[in-house]
Amino acid sequence: MITFDRVSKRYGRVTAVGELSLEVASGEIVVLAGPSGCGKTTSLTMINRLIEPTSGAISIDGRDTATMDVNALRRSIGYVIQQVGLFPHQTVAENIATVPRLARWSRRRVAGRVEELLELVGLPPGDYAQRLPAELSGGERQRVGVARALGADPDILLMDEPFGAIDPVVRVRLQNELLRLQKVLHKTIVFVTHDIDEAVRIGDRVALLSQGGVLEQYARPVELLAHPASAFVAEFLGEGRMVRRLALLRVRDARLAQPNGSGLPTVSVRADASLRDALDAILRADGGRVTVRDVDTVLGVIDSESIREASR
Amino acid sequence: MSIITYIVDNWGTLGPQVTTHIEIVAMSMAAAALIGLILGVFAARSERFSTLILGVTSTLLTVPSFALFGLLSIWAGLGNPPVIIGLILYALLPVVRNTSTGIRAVDPAVTEAARGMGMRPSQVLARVELPLAAPAILGGLRQATVMVVAIATVGATVGADDLGQPILEALGRSSGTLVQVLAGVIPVAAIGLVADGVLAGVQRVLSRGAARGAVG
Ligand SMILES: Nc1ncnc2c1ncn2[C@@H]1O[C@H](COP(=O)(O)OP(=O)(O)O)[C@@H](O)[C@H]1O
Ligand SMILES: [Mg+2]
Repeated sequence: MITFDRVSKRYGRVTAVGELSLEVASGEIVVLAGPSGCGKTTSLTMINRLIEPTSGAISIDGRDTATMDVNALRRSIGYVIQQVGLFPHQTVAENIATVPRLARWSRRRVAGRVEELLELVGLPPGDYAQRLPAELSGGERQRVGVARALGADPDILLMDEPFGAIDPVVRVRLQNELLRLQKVLHKTIVFVTHDIDEAVRIGDRVALLSQGGVLEQYARPVELLAHPASAFVAEFLGEGRMVRRLALLRVRDARLAQPNGSGLPTVSVRADASLRDALDAILRADGGRVTVRDVDTVLGVIDSESIREASR
Repeated sequence: MSIITYIVDNWGTLGPQVTTHIEIVAMSMAAAALIGLILGVFAARSERFSTLILGVTSTLLTVPSFALFGLLSIWAGLGNPPVIIGLILYALLPVVRNTSTGIRAVDPAVTEAARGMGMRPSQVLARVELPLAAPAILGGLRQATVMVVAIATVGATVGADDLGQPILEALGRSSGTLVQVLAGVIPVAAIGLVADGVLAGVQRVLSRGAARGAVG
């Protein structure tokens, strides 16, 4: 668990982050979101002490980070940035080996770890290990960046707009890959973005900051979208938040109706589809009702009323 | 008399002068590389030091070489020592300047990633900044070497027994001939070309990735 206790960072008279208190639970993805210049990067990099707080304390599992050896702290925390910052004079394998080598792992253990990580991020080692960063696409480079950050299997991963410079199609793919990785890895991830759609898709919780690092709301995405705590939050969330929220809810969690005498609707959705997809199907279906299936089993029928109920 | 025959006939004197010339250049460049590298790293870190050291080293370059060698010989005596010291001073500017600009040109994202992964400042320098600045540093060493090979001839005026001697002797005698001057000049040019070629080769090898990897 990462705990911010009234953490501030001031530059002269400018307050980048003001008295931020926040708890990041172990194994969760917490997204720091907010407009440009609101203090996201400052908050994030105070965790690995690339920036030192002016006042307040950050602790990890109860230990104040200010008391730790700064380089040991950083080696225990993965760090991914938008520009990636791969070492251009080193191969992909050498880049990924950085932290294990700093930690003086044996040559064999390092080689094994590099292969494992390349597999994990979906880059076949035979094809990619010996390439230079200049020989990779933007998306591949960011995958290597993530693999390098995971080098010595840190418990914590800090990611600063990691997919910000990637085109939208590849970005969604990388987001999904991160979620898939997290299902296996269970890291504590702090993820910075100014893109609210990315925030609600990726985050177990979203911390929404306003200018000066003021915490406006800290909630699960479904809660944030349903109940914005202030006009600032509502405005940052943007138009159509209840409809967008449907993308985060599953059909299996809605209360389904049993099929009536007139037979099953011909259009059907899967139980693990989102309510957004279900609503789309309902709007397409003739009778305003669709069948919900879990593989071959029919679970019931869903209509716009059940969606309305489920989204309350 | 052809220049080739002249050089061959006089190799008994010229041979040792070639050796001395190379020794003087090698010693001054080794020292200038070490000192210049250290000063260059500090210049990359501090704007004020950079202004100071670049000012001093470029001013040194404006001092005429026979005057500098002459002044240094008052203190260091006649022969090779004042020449070696003077050449070190001349060679500093290109080495310091290129080291500093090479390090400053490293993508800040790359050094941030290095620090973020827990590299100590010395590790960031040795494993990231210097390797990436290496082609620029080698470029500075090449410039300095070519310059020093030529200026070393002036060392003959303070008694260095290098390839400046045949030139100086020829110029000092009414019977001196163009062939005698060329007997000094041609080996100097050859040393300069060979040294430059070797360093260019090293530069190419070190550029692996560093030059190609402008992105990353
Ligand atoms: N080194 C610095 N000196 C002065 N002001 C800074 C410095 N770094 C950041 N700031 C200011 O602090 C605020 C927050 O910056 P940052 O955390 O980078 O924002 P974000 O990542 O949310 O875009 C900004 O207003 C920025 O101008
Ligand atoms: Mg930022």
